[in-house]
Amino acid sequence: MKNIFKPIAIVIAAAAFCACDEFGPVFTGKYDEPADERIYTDADFAAQTPITIRELKAMYKDGPVKITDDLVIKGQVTTSDASGNFYKSFYIQDETAGIELKLGLTGLYNDYKLGQWIYVKCKGLVIGDYEGSKQLGYEDITGDYETAYMEVKLIIENHVFKGALDEPLQPEVISEADLTTDEHMGKYVTINGLSYTNTIFCLVYVNPDGNTKLTSNRIFLDEENKNAWGVTTWAMSKSKFTEYLYSGVFDTADIGNGPEKVKDHKFEIKPTAYTVSQYFKMGKTSIAIRTSGYCKFADKEMSETIGNGTSVSFTGILTNYRGEPQFTLIDLDGVSAAK
Amino acid sequence: MLAMLVCVAAMAQSTTGGIKGKIVSRSGRVPIAEARLTLTDAEGTAVRLNSDQNGDFVFNDLENGSYTILVEADGFVASRVNVAVDGFMRNLMFVTMQPEQVLAEVDESSFADLDMDDSGYQNIPTVLSSSSDVFDNTAGYKFSSVRFRQRGFDSNSQDVYLAGIRLNDAVTGYTPWSLWSGLNEATRDKETTSGVGASDYGVGGYNGITNITGTASSMRKGWRFSVLSNSAMYRLRLMGSYATGEMDNGWSLAANVSVRVGGNDWVQGVYYRSVAYWLGAEKNWDDLHRLSFSVFGSPVQRGAQNSSTQEVYDLVGSNFYNSNWGWQDGKIRNSRVRNNHEPVAVLKYTWTPTFNFSLDATAIYRTGRNGYSALDWYDAADPRPDYYRNLPSYFYNEDENYAKRDSPFQAGWAEEAWTYNYNDVRHVNWDRMYNVNRNNVDARFDPERNRSKYVQEERRQDQNDLNFGLTAKYMFPKYFTLKGGATFRWNRTEYYKIIKDLLGGDYYVNIDQFAERDFASSDIAIQNDLQYYYQYGHPQLVGKGDKYGYDYYANVRNATLWANLGFEAGQWKAWVAAQGGYDSFWRFGNVQKGLFPDTSYGKSDVSSFFTYRFKGGVSWNRGPHRIWANAGYFTEAPLFTESFISPRTRNTLASNLQTQKTVSADLSYAFNKNNYSLRITGYYTYIADQTDLMSFYDDSQNSFTNFAMSGIDERHCGIELGFQVPLPLTGLSLQGALNWGDYVYTSTPRVIQTIDNSDQIVMDDIVPYWAYHSTYKRDSEGNVILDKFGDPVFDKKQKHYVPSTPQIAANLGLNYSNNYLFAGIDLQYFDKMYLDMNPLYRTDLAVLGPDGQWSAEEEEYMASQEKFKHAFILNANIGKSWYIRRKYNIGFSLEVKNILNTQSVRTGGYEQTRLIDSEDLTRYYRFDSKYFYMVGTNYMLNLYFRF
Repeated sequence: MKNIFKPIAIVIAAAAFCACDEFGPVFTGKYDEPADERIYTDADFAAQTPITIRELKAMYKDGPVKITDDLVIKGQVTTSDASGNFYKSFYIQDETAGIELKLGLTGLYNDYKLGQWIYVKCKGLVIGDYEGSKQLGYEDITGDYETAYMEVKLIIENHVFKGALDEPLQPEVISEADLTTDEHMGKYVTINGLSYTNTIFCLVYVNPDGNTKLTSNRIFLDEENKNAWGVTTWAMSKSKFTEYLYSGVFDTADIGNGPEKVKDHKFEIKPTAYTVSQYFKMGKTSIAIRTSGYCKFADKEMSETIGNGTSVSFTGILTNYRGEPQFTLIDLDGVSAAK
Repeated sequence: MLAMLVCVAAMAQSTTGGIKGKIVSRSGRVPIAEARLTLTDAEGTAVRLNSDQNGDFVFNDLENGSYTILVEADGFVASRVNVAVDGFMRNLMFVTMQPEQVLAEVDESSFADLDMDDSGYQNIPTVLSSSSDVFDNTAGYKFSSVRFRQRGFDSNSQDVYLAGIRLNDAVTGYTPWSLWSGLNEATRDKETTSGVGASDYGVGGYNGITNITGTASSMRKGWRFSVLSNSAMYRLRLMGSYATGEMDNGWSLAANVSVRVGGNDWVQGVYYRSVAYWLGAEKNWDDLHRLSFSVFGSPVQRGAQNSSTQEVYDLVGSNFYNSNWGWQDGKIRNSRVRNNHEPVAVLKYTWTPTFNFSLDATAIYRTGRNGYSALDWYDAADPRPDYYRNLPSYFYNEDENYAKRDSPFQAGWAEEAWTYNYNDVRHVNWDRMYNVNRNNVDARFDPERNRSKYVQEERRQDQNDLNFGLTAKYMFPKYFTLKGGATFRWNRTEYYKIIKDLLGGDYYVNIDQFAERDFASSDIAIQNDLQYYYQYGHPQLVGKGDKYGYDYYANVRNATLWANLGFEAGQWKAWVAAQGGYDSFWRFGNVQKGLFPDTSYGKSDVSSFFTYRFKGGVSWNRGPHRIWANAGYFTEAPLFTESFISPRTRNTLASNLQTQKTVSADLSYAFNKNNYSLRITGYYTYIADQTDLMSFYDDSQNSFTNFAMSGIDERHCGIELGFQVPLPLTGLSLQGALNWGDYVYTSTPRVIQTIDNSDQIVMDDIVPYWAYHSTYKRDSEGNVILDKFGDPVFDKKQKHYVPSTPQIAANLGLNYSNNYLFAGIDLQYFDKMYLDMNPLYRTDLAVLGPDGQWSAEEEEYMASQEKFKHAFILNANIGKSWYIRRKYNIGFSLEVKNILNTQSVRTGGYEQTRLIDSEDLTRYYRFDSKYFYMVGTNYMLNLYFRF
């Protein structure tokens, strides 16, 4: 009998060994918590030439420029996409300037914290312009934009590196005159003493799938003295916008340069491509508070005191839209109205 | 056993008769000489004799009455035959015995463990026939690697009984094999009828009944130990069992324990960790009363496999890539783990006051936990590695008309990353999820602790299932046997989910993030538990083990009454059976959801259905020939899971629920003589008014979306053929099995699409291209030919087929069995395998495209159904057992499957229910389908020792 039990014992032992060896958790089901992720420091970029963000932005020349040298920039994160007003990108800023990084993923605030240091290896990326604001992203071979989103994890991993967490930057308070200079574009700033103009900036494409460059395909609702076309929220979600459009509030607006009116076509308008923001004035300078219909505070009402013309402060990113200053909120914490 | 009884009539009536027959082995029908037969009459008087050299035996001069014959032979499983003698010489023809080593070879229930409902579609192979029929044996076991389904039927239609009570899941209809997986020894004793055939245990449906005896006395006597290793499921199984058999004091005691652990050679991340137990006791009081009690369970933790698109498989270089796992702590961690422990208790009482009457009363209770984990996340990037936005195809397509697929550089980087697995892009990134969670303070909820953005949830379906059954059997003095019974079922299954692991964070917020996107300004709408919110003013911050998300009861009640009348005279046998039933079910919401405050909480409307079914059959035999036919008509209530449009969130029932109606018939001929056997069956089944509910996460809607289909009709017809031919070498035989089926859809169903975070009906439409689409004539350059009116020239109707099984399956095998050695080789062929269809692609919406204009190309592209490539597979097995001192039995069996190492056989999958716009907005494109593949060469080795 013994000579039979022996091979059986060997087989059992071998099989048991294989089973354990190939799968540890079979017996424990336990996993130790992962280590903290790696924090990059200046030393990791010794082979790169450091430049300031201002120097990087200066490399832009009337069209997108692909960076061909081993340049690295370093800055702190100043925006978050948590509220949805920034989408698929965030801004970083050093002492000299701020710039938008077009990563192309959602939920970036989970990985890139406000105040966190970020290194960007620029070689292979493209510095481009969108309606007056500079962006760092990937080459867009379709030509639709000057830069494309990086979007692919491997591209991001090859270019964007996370450094130490740090306290979020404090906003710089700027004056009316600063709104129109290049100096503060893309920076995290506070502007004080603004008043509401009772005006919205609203652009709607009648047929978003058609030619968006045709005037007759566009509706602008940015006239003054229209009491903001009845819009009292910071932005408008799709459902809210649809409700307003069909209610007839916008009926008398021109399509393109007229003479056709919104009321003639309102049920043909697809409420998918539109933007609604509110206009404020700082001194004599009119400035749009840029908001997205997809952001979480889109349908939040502006407080009544703002409607009554009280003085308002905004904190966010100063941007530019076709030569006009524009202010992009990170979330509603960036709004404070005098009581 | 009844199926083995074949009688030949004698013309004269008298008060004495006899019994004769031939004892043969099941495989090969080799005569068994010197088998020991013990004949016992109703009074307990025994007569013994042995079979002769040809296996033949005769009992003469027996008084009319009822007898039991116990047949025993070395190396074979003892069997018992009940025979009534009423003046004739009863010829039992063949009394087959199962060689013990053949049973060891077929460890079929290992494969019942496989289930792939990860895809959202339940897909357990039909298995576990242990009859002597060549076709049934082949189809039940040897076809399981390609997920063959008998006659093309959904496995839910197979009725699985334990101790005489149907145990298919009350809520989902699933077959209950997993309850006793790993308990092969305790559940080995079973009876199977296939198709529309008659059963002792109930009326049954159109896809057969399997009854597991499950009592202590049914387990084989003695100690049994086995070690099994295989490379397609789990590495190692250790099993032991002991049964006393019926002792002199009337008691039988039995136990079966097994351990299954390890991964396999083909799919990474898949593993087993299971201990199964079964304990039974039975007492027999003078064959008058029998009481049996058993309790068993199969607690298991099991890592699941996921399906992916062909693009992913090609990038990775393997069709067995599994996207469910990632590295943590240097170990493979699977995000999708089944964690079940559902103990079952069975109490059975049998009363046999006279030899011709018996009564069974049975109660079965099932309870415990059934969990399946998954990743859940809040406002963060999708963590699944093969999420479509991570793949090259998301960035670029050669067809310029694919909207926004115009970034070849990005595509190139993505391809690079996947091909070389840079930064482990192919796997779940646990480290990142922990780091996100550990760095996320959300002061709105808690300024001190970290809010988890990623968690591992566990979806639970915890059953409380109580079954009662009463079965009576009466044999009339002449011709007739009457069986009948009543059953009642009470089931309450709680569906909910809990936090299984916070992945480094401290709490998770119980809100509906999908509602949050659409109703951002409403604090009410986003609450998963509105009552909690009203009470505390904030949503619950849930920790490990806490319930969150959804929580509801599925309540099911079911009662049936049935009867089966058998008739037997001379060469004729016939039977009729009928059943009436009452089904009702309702949902009870345990939480009030912010989006649906009026319809989510409390009791839903109760749906009730009366059902009925009729069956009948007739058979005739003479000499080696037998001809029989069965037919039936069945109505079945819809299942709970198919009846609520969004059971996770609300009480709303799908509209126009109705019973499913099925008509089914089969006709068979069999020939058995001198080790030659043949069986051929033609079958036909029409199933009308089926419903189906498909539910999955749709990131374009940012929600779970549900497609409720109704009015699905199917027609199944085909031929089954099984044969065995002895070859000149003793013990060698040629066996063949063929199923030639044609299973098609025949109706235009209706589909209603809803999403979990909205009460609006997204779509309510018919599905005109479900049963078929048209094809159009093409010229030599592949362009559609137009007629003089400019319309495409019709070519033919392309039918759509019932998926997820080969409709053509064939097996040709050489088997050798002699002197405790067996060996076999099988060549298999499978064809007509189709991919499961989704309803969306067969609607006008999808076929016509965004422009609403029909074109021949769009119909052929969008509505068509994918047919898988046919497959050839070669398998072989060998085994031997030895008796030592006529007491110890030791042996092994080895099976090697897919010797040709074919790795390109698709066994299933599904279409993703999503559309891509074309650049010119004239048409839609499909998302890529996902597939499962049959694994390459794999082995199963079993060593056993018995005494």
